[in-house]
Amino acid sequence: MASNKKVLLKVIILGDSSVGKTSLMNQYVNRKFSNQYKATIGADFLTKEVTIDDRTVTMQIWDTAGQERFQSLGVAFYRGADCCVLVFDVTAPNTFKSLDSWRDEFLIQAAPREPDNFPFVLLGNKVDLEPRAISAKRAQQWCQAKNNMPYFETSAKEGLNVEQAFLAIAKNALAQQNQSVDLYNEFPDQIKLTNTQKSNGGGDSCAC
Amino acid sequence: MEDEFDDYQDVFSQDGVLLRQAPSAYIQYINTIGTLYIWETLENEACHSKKRLLEWKPNDVTVDSDVQDQEWAVVNTVQKRVRTLSGNLPPDYYARLKNLKINFEDIKSFRIANKSRQLTFFDGTSDSICSLLFQHGNCEVLVSILRSFLKFGPSRRDKHLFVIYDADSPEYQELNKTFAALDFKNENSLWTLFKNIKEHPYEGSLEAFSKVTNYVYRSVDANEAEFLQQDDLNRSLSEIDDSSTVHSGGDYELVQKLPQLPKRKDFPRCRPLTEEQWREQFNYEGRLEDVESIKTLIFRGGVTPSIRKEVWKFLLDYHPWNSTSAERQKCNSTKSEEYYLMKLQWKSFTKTQEDNFSDFAQRKSLIDKDVNRTDRNLDFYAGDNNFNLTTLNDILMTYVMYNFDLGYVQGMSDLLSPLLMLLEHESDTFWCFVGFMNKLISNFDIDQAGMKEQLANLYTLLAFIDPFLANYLETHECANMFFCFRWLLVWFKRELKQDDVMRFWEVLWTGYPCQNFHLLVGVAILEQERGALMENNYGFTEILKHINELNGKLDMSLMLNKAEGIFYQLKESDHLTDNIRFILGLPLLSQQTSANHSISPDSSANHSQPRCSVDHVRISPESDEAVYDRSITTNFL
Ligand SMILES: Nc1nc2c(ncn2[C@@H]2O[C@H](COP(=O)(O)OP(=O)(O)O)[C@@H](O)[C@H]2O)c(=O)[nH]1
Ligand SMILES: [Mg+2]
Repeated sequence: MASNKKVLLKVIILGDSSVGKTSLMNQYVNRKFSNQYKATIGADFLTKEVTIDDRTVTMQIWDTAGQERFQSLGVAFYRGADCCVLVFDVTAPNTFKSLDSWRDEFLIQAAPREPDNFPFVLLGNKVDLEPRAISAKRAQQWCQAKNNMPYFETSAKEGLNVEQAFLAIAKNALAQQNQSVDLYNEFPDQIKLTNTQKSNGGGDSCAC
Repeated sequence: MEDEFDDYQDVFSQDGVLLRQAPSAYIQYINTIGTLYIWETLENEACHSKKRLLEWKPNDVTVDSDVQDQEWAVVNTVQKRVRTLSGNLPPDYYARLKNLKINFEDIKSFRIANKSRQLTFFDGTSDSICSLLFQHGNCEVLVSILRSFLKFGPSRRDKHLFVIYDADSPEYQELNKTFAALDFKNENSLWTLFKNIKEHPYEGSLEAFSKVTNYVYRSVDANEAEFLQQDDLNRSLSEIDDSSTVHSGGDYELVQKLPQLPKRKDFPRCRPLTEEQWREQFNYEGRLEDVESIKTLIFRGGVTPSIRKEVWKFLLDYHPWNSTSAERQKCNSTKSEEYYLMKLQWKSFTKTQEDNFSDFAQRKSLIDKDVNRTDRNLDFYAGDNNFNLTTLNDILMTYVMYNFDLGYVQGMSDLLSPLLMLLEHESDTFWCFVGFMNKLISNFDIDQAGMKEQLANLYTLLAFIDPFLANYLETHECANMFFCFRWLLVWFKRELKQDDVMRFWEVLWTGYPCQNFHLLVGVAILEQERGALMENNYGFTEILKHINELNGKLDMSLMLNKAEGIFYQLKESDHLTDNIRFILGLPLLSQQTSANHSISPDSSANHSQPRCSVDHVRISPESDEAVYDRSITTNFL
C-alpha cells in the first residue's frame, strides 16, 4: 500500500572525527573525492535517488561533526532515522574502539521504536592506506555480536565498495521503514499498546 | 459529551521544559526534560467555550518519541485522557499515563521566577500544581498565549505572582471595561482583526479599528484611556471581535506580541580606517590618543589592509590600547619568549611520554587531522608539505599547553587560519589567537552550554524583531535554532569569503555597538531569508539545507548594515525586555528602578518619557510602583 508513495529514507553517518564520513557521503552522492573538504561543523545532509527492487526511493544522508562535545546536538538530527551507518578508519585503532559508544549514543538519542532490530551498517574506511590496524576479521567479529550487522570495507578516496555499501544501507533502511509502516497501517491500536508495554518492561526499570 | 473532547489541536508547544515539581504520581519525572503543549478543542458549533488543557510530556515516551507518528500518537494520548475523565477506567490509569495534564480551570495563579525561566502553577491553595523550568528560552511566549484566553494580573503582595481572574471578579469586570481588555483578551486578536478587516471589510468597523491602531501605536496616557471607554467604540470592537475569531479555528494564527518597533534606520557602511587616520592618532610616546573614535571608525568600515597587521594586535588584546611604542616592543619580546617556552614543552615530549599521556595524544591527533583540512583551497595553505600548515599545527599544539583544560576543539583551526595568513608571524599569531579565543571561549564549553545559550538568545532576539518568523520556527520544531550552529561557532567563517571574514571579524572585535552584535547579524540574515523559509513551508530539514547553502552568498556589508539598524530599533523600543537588554549588555530596567530613579546615561536619550503600550495601563494606579510594574510585566508580554 505504501509502494506508490514517495519514500524518503533517512540515514545517519556516525564515527570519530576524520574517519571519512564526509568523504564517503560525497563519494557516494557526487562520485568524487577531494582533499579540500573541511572538518564538518554542525550538520549537513545530501540526498540521492536510488532504485531498489524497481522502487525509486530518496536517501537523505546526514553527516555530523565527530568530536564528542558536539554530540549533545545529535538529538535534533537523529530523530526519525531509518538506518545508522557507523564508520571507523581501518588504520586508526581508536576509531574502532569508539564504535560501541557511537552505537549506544545513537540508540539513546534517536530512541528508535525497536532498538534491538534497528538497522546499523558498519564501514571500515581508508582500506587504500597502509598499515592496517584493524583486520577484517576483527571487524566482522564485532558485527556478529551486534545482531549480525552488515560490514563493508571501503575507500572513499578510490571509490572502492562505496556504492555497494550504500545500496545495502538503503535496503536495510527500506526494510525497516516498510516493517513499521505495515504494522502501523494494519493494527495501529495494538501496536501502540505493545510498544508501550515493551518500553516499560525493557527500557527503564520504573514501575509506572 | 465525549465527542466534544475528541478533536483537540495543539496551539502551542515548547520543548526543553524540565519538570521541577509535580504531584506525587509524577514523581519519577521530576527533573526530566519534556515538551509542554496547550491543547484546544477545535471549533465546534455545539459548544461555545473552548476547552483547553496544558500538558507536559517527558521526552522519552516511547510511542510519542517517534517523529513520524508524533501527531497521531499525541492526539491519541489526549483522547485516552478524556476517557479517564469520563470515569470508566481504573483509578490508577491516570497515574500510569506519563503525561501531566492540567485543566486551565484548575489554575488559579502562576508565578514567574528566575528571569522568566521558571513557571509555577498554583491551584489556589499553598501547594503548587507543578513547576516548570524552561531550558530553551523562557516562558514568555507561553504566558503571552495564556493571555489570549485568560485574564490575569499581578498580585498585590507578590509582583511575580499572576492571579487569574474569574468571570465575576471585580478585576475581570474592570478589565472588560477598560481598553486594556481589548489587547488583553486577544493580544493576537488584534492582528487577526487586522487581517480580517483587510480581507472582509466591515462597514463602520474599519473606522473603529483605525482608532485602535492609533491607540496601540501611539503612547498611552490615562486621558486617552478614558476616551477609549466610549461605548460605541467598545460595541463596534466587540462586533468585530465576535465575527473574526479565525485564530481559534483551523488556521490558528499566533502572535506573541504586536511589535511596535521604531522605524528601522539605514546605516550605510563607511570607508575603512585609513593609514593616515590611524597614524595621526598616536602621540609622541606612540600612545593612541582617541581610542573610542578609532574603534568607531573600525566598526563603521573596518581596517585598510595595509595597517591590519598592526591594528589587529590591539583589537585582539595583544597590545593594550593605551600602551606606548616602547611598551609594545617589550611586550613583543617577552610574549615571544613565553610562547617558545610553551612550545618547547610539548616539542620535547618523548614518544613514551606521549604514549602514557593519552589526553595529550588525543588532542595532538585531532589537531593533525584538522590542520590538514583547514582552508586548503586557499593558496596560503594549499599543496603538500606546506610550511604554513606546520605553523598552524604548532600554534594549536602550543595553545593546548597554554590551556590544557580546553585543549583543542573543532572550529578552532578555522579561527586561527585567517590570523596566521595575515600576521605571518608565529608568536604574534599565537597571542592574537589567545585574544580571539578569550572572546568566544564559551563556544567551546565541554557541555556546549555556551552554544546553547547563544542559540536560545538568537531565538529571543528574533522573536522580538520578527515574531511571525519566530513563531513559524517554533511550530516547525526549529526553535532550537540548530541550523545556525555553524554561524555562531566560528563567527560566520564558513559562510563568508576570506576577505569578508577579515573585514567582518575586525568589525565585531570592536565590541560595538553592543555585546553579542553577531547575534543581530544572525537575526538580519534570518529576516532576509524569511520569505524563502515561510513561503516554501520549509521544515527543520529544508531550513537547515537552505541556511547551509547560503555559504558564499551572503553580502557581509549589507548584513552589518541591517544588524545595526536592528540594534537601534531594539535600543529605542519602548517595550524592550530586560531579557534582551541583558543579552545586548544594555542597562536593565529593574536596575534603573532599584537605583531609585537615577537616570542611567544610556536611557536618557530614548527613555526620558517612558512610553508604554496598552498592556501596562494599570488597574489601580499606584504611581510609585508603576515603573517597577512595567519592568516586570514587559518581561512576560
Ligand atoms: N587515504 C584515504 N583518505 C581518506 C579516505 N576518506 C577520507 N580520507 C581523508 O581523511 C580525512 C578526513 O576525512 P573526512 O571525510 O573529512 O572525515 P570526517 O571527519 O569523518 O567527515 C581527510 O583528509 C580525507 O581526505 C580514504 O578512503 N582514504
Ligand atoms: Mg566530516
